Amino acid sequence: MTRYWRLISIFMGASLSAQLEYRVNFVINLVETILRVLGSLLGLIILLGENKSLGGWSFHEAAVVLGVFTLFDGLIGLALAPNLNRIAEGVRTGTMDFTLLKPIDSQFLVSFRNINLLRLPDVLLGLGIIVWAVLQSPILPNLGNLSLGILLLLCAYSIVYGIWFMLSTTAFWFVRVENITELFMGFYRAGQFPVSVFPGWVRTLFTFVIPIAFITTIPAQALTGKLEQNSLWIALGFAALLLFLSRWFWRFALRSYTSASS
Amino acid sequence: MIEVRNLEKHYTVAEKEAGLAGSLKSFFKRQIRVVKAVDGVSFQIATGEMVGFLGANGAGKTTTLKMLSGLLHPSAGEARVAGFVPFERQSNFLKTITLIMGQKQQLIWDLPALDSFLVNQAIYEIPDAEYKATMQEFTDLLDLQDVLKKQVRKLSLGERMKCELAAALLHKPKVLFLDEPTIGLDVNMQVRIREFIAAYNQKFAATVILTSHYMADVTALCKRIIVVDKGRIIFDGDLAALLETTSPSKIMKLQLERLVPRADLERYASILQLEGLNVEFSVPRAEVSVKAAKLLAELPVADITIEDPPIEEIIGQLFTQARAEVNV
Repeated sequence: MTRYWRLISIFMGASLSAQLEYRVNFVINLVETILRVLGSLLGLIILLGENKSLGGWSFHEAAVVLGVFTLFDGLIGLALAPNLNRIAEGVRTGTMDFTLLKPIDSQFLVSFRNINLLRLPDVLLGLGIIVWAVLQSPILPNLGNLSLGILLLLCAYSIVYGIWFMLSTTAFWFVRVENITELFMGFYRAGQFPVSVFPGWVRTLFTFVIPIAFITTIPAQALTGKLEQNSLWIALGFAALLLFLSRWFWRFALRSYTSASS
Repeated sequence: MIEVRNLEKHYTVAEKEAGLAGSLKSFFKRQIRVVKAVDGVSFQIATGEMVGFLGANGAGKTTTLKMLSGLLHPSAGEARVAGFVPFERQSNFLKTITLIMGQKQQLIWDLPALDSFLVNQAIYEIPDAEYKATMQEFTDLLDLQDVLKKQVRKLSLGERMKCELAAALLHKPKVLFLDEPTIGLDVNMQVRIREFIAAYNQKFAATVILTSHYMADVTALCKRIIVVDKGRIIFDGDLAALLETTSPSKIMKLQLERLVPRADLERYASILQLEGLNVEFSVPRAEVSVKAAKLLAELPVADITIEDPPIEEIIGQLFTQARAEVNV
């Protein structure tokens, strides 16, 4: 286990220094990040300025959902996309060969090889919104709610990872899959609102078919003390299932890997 | 060290007719064809042996290497490398082998090679002291001092290949699969790489399988060669033996001190080429020493060399033979 943590830190270092090699690009990216975060904040102020409720959620509760959404949007850009989008590239160009020949878990290697620290501000913004919105609520969450919230955020991360990972792994058959991950992001964007604002069948779709609800709404419920007991178990079940499925799917994909010919 | 029995690999490939119409047609209905890239291959390689894999493009060399390194699952047959079944890709197996592909790179493009080495050190769990010693050794052997701290993308092809080699051998593997390691390099660099591979083989008693389009790579490094054509082995054995069986004659090159009429020369052996003072004879292998003595005694010879015909020609002959046999 310590070996894996050590590796992650080495990967992060290498990945960051690779980004620092191109100074102009780094600075432009930084400016872009600042502008994007400012833009999001502005949108929030407009959206949350009026004290209206949304699908049975008070505005600060809805803000928690938006905060969780922003957090995961950032986390995807920070840690998932820079790695998982490269699976397709590796398959297409054949450098996946080298990845598979390393004496280390290949799923670990493709999942943690890179990091895009420029998306860190998005993550911090998300966390900031959550903290701000939670503090706004009339009853502050107790320790139990807080730890439940953190646990559910971890579940949510596992769910996002599992889905995104499996979508990216389809590259082993289809080779180019940028559009598949775009499709997921399209659905994910619906997660910035509490699922209860949607009509019944959409809610079912977003809860059980594409579990968007478990990514944003349900952790937010925990943080605002609105969580139903069942949701916790379902979230845990979904997280475990998706992690397990991603593992199984990766092995399955490797069996049909044909390796780009040289 | 390496044992292969009846190894096969079949691919299904989609085929498409040229042009947009063909693309549209194949978008809706893919034409599928089965290709036997490797079709029943068997051989054994002992520890420390260096074997050259020869064959035209698409003969199945790379596919065989990929099956042996564990990247591809064989369609049929068995392979064992260092006692492991390659496709299981056990950690200990992967630490024993390395695969180097002249056309693909594992170094991190935007960083100096040194950073890639550090990543590999961590992945292969190489202790610091050992890493330093190995790096020192490789730096000397490959002349890397000035190269290590430059961004990989700024290196020349030759410099990059040297770094690729170092990165791939950092964990001191016992089995090396080299797929065209010298492709695109100039002659000097090819020699450097060859020398390095030979030195590595000597020092660590490493087993090496090498594919190359440059015959010089193979003749310089390998005593034994395996020739594949259309997924089958058509020759497996000593390079010298191959020369003897397929080419019964040697080439004798003479430089004369003064001009000798063609008719006089023709009495000794058949002439391949005659240009002023330079003559080339084709002499049957068995008669080489007798003929050489006779020529030296009777002609004004300034210099004499005896060579095998170019190996490319011999391999070419082998292919024509094998294909003729198939057609019969």
